[in-house]
Amino acid sequence: MDNETHAAGREQPAVRVRDLTYRYRGQDKPALEGVSLDVTRGEFVVVMGPSGAGKSTLCVSLNGLVPHFFRGRIDGEVRINGRSTREGKVGEFAREVGLVFQDFEAQLFSTNVALEVAFGPENFSVEREEMVRRVEGVLGRVRLEGFEDRQPATLSGGQKQRLAIASVLAIEPRILCLDEPTTDLDPIGKLGVFEIAGELKDRDDVTLIVVEHETEETLDADRIVVLKDGMVIADRPAREVLRDVELLEEARIMPLQITRFFHEMGLWQGQLPLTPEEGLKELRQRGWRISPGRHRELVEKDAEREATYGGPIIEAEGLTHRYPNGVVALEDVSLTVRRDEFLAVLGQNGSGKTTLVKHFNGLLEPTGGSVRVDGEDTVSQGVRGLGQKVGYVFQNPDHQIFSDTVFDEVAFGPRVRELNEEDVKERVSEALAAVGLEGYEQEDPFVLTKGERQRVAVASVLAVRPEVLILDEPTTGLDYAEQRSMMDLVRRLNESGSTIIVVTHTMWVVAEYAHRAVVVKDGRVTLSGTVRDVFAREEELRDASLRPPHIVSMGNALGYTVLSVEEMIRVTGDK
Amino acid sequence: MDPFLYLDRDTWVHRLDPRTKMLLLLGSFVLAFLYVNPLYGLGVLAVVLLFGASARVLINLRRIWFVLLMIGVMTTILWSIFGGGTTPLFWFVEREAFLYAVGAALRIDVMIIAGMIFLSTTRNEEIATGLVKLGIPYRFAFAVSTALRLVPTIAATGSTIGQAQRSRGLDLESGNIIQRVRKNTPLLIPVFVSTIRSTNVFSMALESKGFGASTKRTYFLRLAMKRQDALVLLVFVLLLAAAVALRMAGYGGLEGFSR
Repeated sequence: MDNETHAAGREQPAVRVRDLTYRYRGQDKPALEGVSLDVTRGEFVVVMGPSGAGKSTLCVSLNGLVPHFFRGRIDGEVRINGRSTREGKVGEFAREVGLVFQDFEAQLFSTNVALEVAFGPENFSVEREEMVRRVEGVLGRVRLEGFEDRQPATLSGGQKQRLAIASVLAIEPRILCLDEPTTDLDPIGKLGVFEIAGELKDRDDVTLIVVEHETEETLDADRIVVLKDGMVIADRPAREVLRDVELLEEARIMPLQITRFFHEMGLWQGQLPLTPEEGLKELRQRGWRISPGRHRELVEKDAEREATYGGPIIEAEGLTHRYPNGVVALEDVSLTVRRDEFLAVLGQNGSGKTTLVKHFNGLLEPTGGSVRVDGEDTVSQGVRGLGQKVGYVFQNPDHQIFSDTVFDEVAFGPRVRELNEEDVKERVSEALAAVGLEGYEQEDPFVLTKGERQRVAVASVLAVRPEVLILDEPTTGLDYAEQRSMMDLVRRLNESGSTIIVVTHTMWVVAEYAHRAVVVKDGRVTLSGTVRDVFAREEELRDASLRPPHIVSMGNALGYTVLSVEEMIRVTGDK
Repeated sequence: MDPFLYLDRDTWVHRLDPRTKMLLLLGSFVLAFLYVNPLYGLGVLAVVLLFGASARVLINLRRIWFVLLMIGVMTTILWSIFGGGTTPLFWFVEREAFLYAVGAALRIDVMIIAGMIFLSTTRNEEIATGLVKLGIPYRFAFAVSTALRLVPTIAATGSTIGQAQRSRGLDLESGNIIQRVRKNTPLLIPVFVSTIRSTNVFSMALESKGFGASTKRTYFLRLAMKRQDALVLLVFVLLLAAAVALRMAGYGGLEGFSR
């Protein structure tokens, strides 16, 4: 469609981006290069792409933060409802474009929910009566009625993100841009955000621009725009892009599992199904069945693997943790982790899973019950002693990195344990080799990408040679290719003898990498078993705000739990 | 961790107008500085604590007891050493200097406790709105309330980072004060990096919600000086006047103290 000239009276696009090139000051490469894009009123556009593709830069150009807030060089232009963002202040465009950032913690700052929502309208001098009406209205829209007096800090992750959306909606923008709104949320929390987005579009005709990296969440979009290296490499109807498995893989985006399965089975692109329901229909039409024999082989393999585990390394018995303010975070948890296991700890935001694993390296002490590591009580071993046995990689690598060079960072652990420089060197090169960062010794950690910083954090824990490695959300904020390489690394470590405990929201990671899963809900372990057994119980998972990946759901519907596309291919036969 | 000191309770203190509470806070500073004699200082402390207890917020003192203790002890030691008096007490410390030192320590702690009670009973937004109603420009008022919010946020980030480093084997707890300070210094880097990153998002979020878009602004919170406010202020002014009169009449001083 040619939008270059539009006659007076014809509706202009809500967003028009023309040849936008933007380079941040101090960067050699532009973040966006020659981007052109039109979004019509009421459309739902999803922007996807690998880390560093310029997705966030595109978001912040929509309300004028680029060029007004950031320093850099801009060419081309962005027009919002016909007006160039160069012509006005961010505040003026904020009325038309609502922008919600990925980091919901940093954008909530009020002492209660109602005040948080009222902040925007206050800035635009909205009369108080109207403000009260809006607060009530938007809280209803994001399903936070009755939360008016709650402190934002006490909300769950999903609720916080919905509040962040509400606080922007109260300004009544016609365009809403959400930058990776669900990265940090559990599967049901994700669903909630997208349900609300869908309703806003249908009911209020809001134009939606959402940056997202998980394809499962983009099924309802009208269009998908794929960015790579600052350029638009695809801009087509959503279902068309989702069927283009090769394009997605090139852009380091995880293709839908159902689509990839049928793609690998040799179906023509135009007929590829997208969802588990469509997949089931397709399977039936083709008369493909699952071979019970080959599925049994998979189950037997699980059992064989389980038989190779060593003795117990971590034993929690009746573990209870009550915070000083009286909140019970864990109640009567009993759990044994055996040597060489790969355990995933799942649960909703705030369910207590991080609290649980912090007991394993002594950061928290039980207020009831006990935790033993290697047969000895954690309380008597202390954090420092336990650090030798149990390494802990925190969610945010920036919380642990402080050295000028990668070498010093990784050497920190061995050095505080007073190893001689020779041994330290050996440990560092061993750890860096394990995470694939050889040759990075003299780099400054702060100029590395998030994925690389995450690896430095892992290496710095590995250098102490712990037996158990705990990773808290190791894939958050990474793109698909980075997530894969991170988890492949973790798998290699597991195969070379480390016991792994991963806390995560990313369900396909659990399905494809972990051996065993425990589900924590409201401070109790509600499900525990091999990943295959746990993911077979969809009802109970949903109860804990969890949802297995698409391929698992499709298998479950057929009565056979498979964990990956590869497994599905193996067990599918023609007859 | 909760980044705010504010405790959401429904007490008569919480219901007071923030302006009233600001005046009470200023008044309590005057009270604290009025008397040099620690006995009278204790009286002032009792009044302030009673006030805090009736607002059911003294539980927050648990968060700062160490600060209060350290400031109290250090002040007492310094003034005992550097103050002069006439009656020897022990070693080279005179009785008057020691009493003055205790009084000074009480004075500082009373001010901190009063500030704490103020922050525990007044919302950030109320402080900002209250300041605006007193004629302070909104931007400045907002900056004050943001600064108040930033301190506990930094403390929370610091505690996460401390945990991350401890689990890598950094021993933060042993050693003397100088060693501990040196061990904690590297932690400042990630604290700063994280704080700068999140304040950056924070300021973008502010702009994106139209902060400073127009010079005029409306307020969701409605402030009104009510009958209770007038009553409380009246009682407090009388108390203050009585306290001043008592001091003028020569009570609460300390004979024989010299610097």
